[in-house]
Amino acid sequence: MSEAVGTPESGGAKEQERFLPIANIGRIMRRGVPENGKIAKDAKESIQECVSEFISFITSEASDKCMKEKRKTINGDDLIWSMGTLGFEDYVEPLKLYLKLYRE
Amino acid sequence: MRLPSPYSGVFRGGSTARTGPHALPLARIKKIMKRSARDGSGGDSAGARMISCEAPVVFSSACELFVAELTRAAWDSTLEGRRRTVHAEDVAAAVRDTNVFDFLVDVVKARPSDDGVSAGDGEGSVAPAVGVHGGMQG
Repeated sequence: MSEAVGTPESGGAKEQERFLPIANIGRIMRRGVPENGKIAKDAKESIQECVSEFISFITSEASDKCMKEKRKTINGDDLIWSMGTLGFEDYVEPLKLYLKLYRE
Repeated sequence: MRLPSPYSGVFRGGSTARTGPHALPLARIKKIMKRSARDGSGGDSAGARMISCEAPVVFSSACELFVAELTRAAWDSTLEGRRRTVHAEDVAAAVRDTNVFDFLVDVVKARPSDDGVSAGDGEGSVAPAVGVHGGMQG
């Protein structure tokens, strides 16, 4: 499959780069439903788009924070701070721990 | 000789990242971040931000939490409809019913469902909010 050059928005390959792979999304989704639950393809596609929007949403906030503080690089702490600010406080502590382990 | 840590595969991405402790591809996460770091702050080059190596790693974990939470909320809607298959309309219901997912309202609304029914219409769904189709009010 060749990549479309010159027109960034054309071609299926470029379109899919906006999202995380649906197989990975589906695997994570399966953990959220019981054994007898099923997940339709349209639900996976919907959550695929939601995840990309989540990444953009948090990144924009973190980017603005860096700009205000005159820093050029968005780091893990900026993202965690942004999530806490935007209503995802429950993620903050687990992610702080995860980041600490990663840095070690 | 330095032993590789469980996270040393993150810089390489690709199949290593898949088999490593990260469920989501870091390179793709970084691509998505770059789009919004560029466009989200006015669109000019002054808004361009660099992204540290650890940032996609944080998102890899955060996105797992996010997907799990949104899926569980969607499953609640599935159960209310006495079904056992989660559909896009259940995701839309979860977004409507949870404040923290407000930023997703336009994302779930933009999707037409597979059977041609317009977004927001479903069995026993609530009426769409006034003013949504014609753009934002106020």
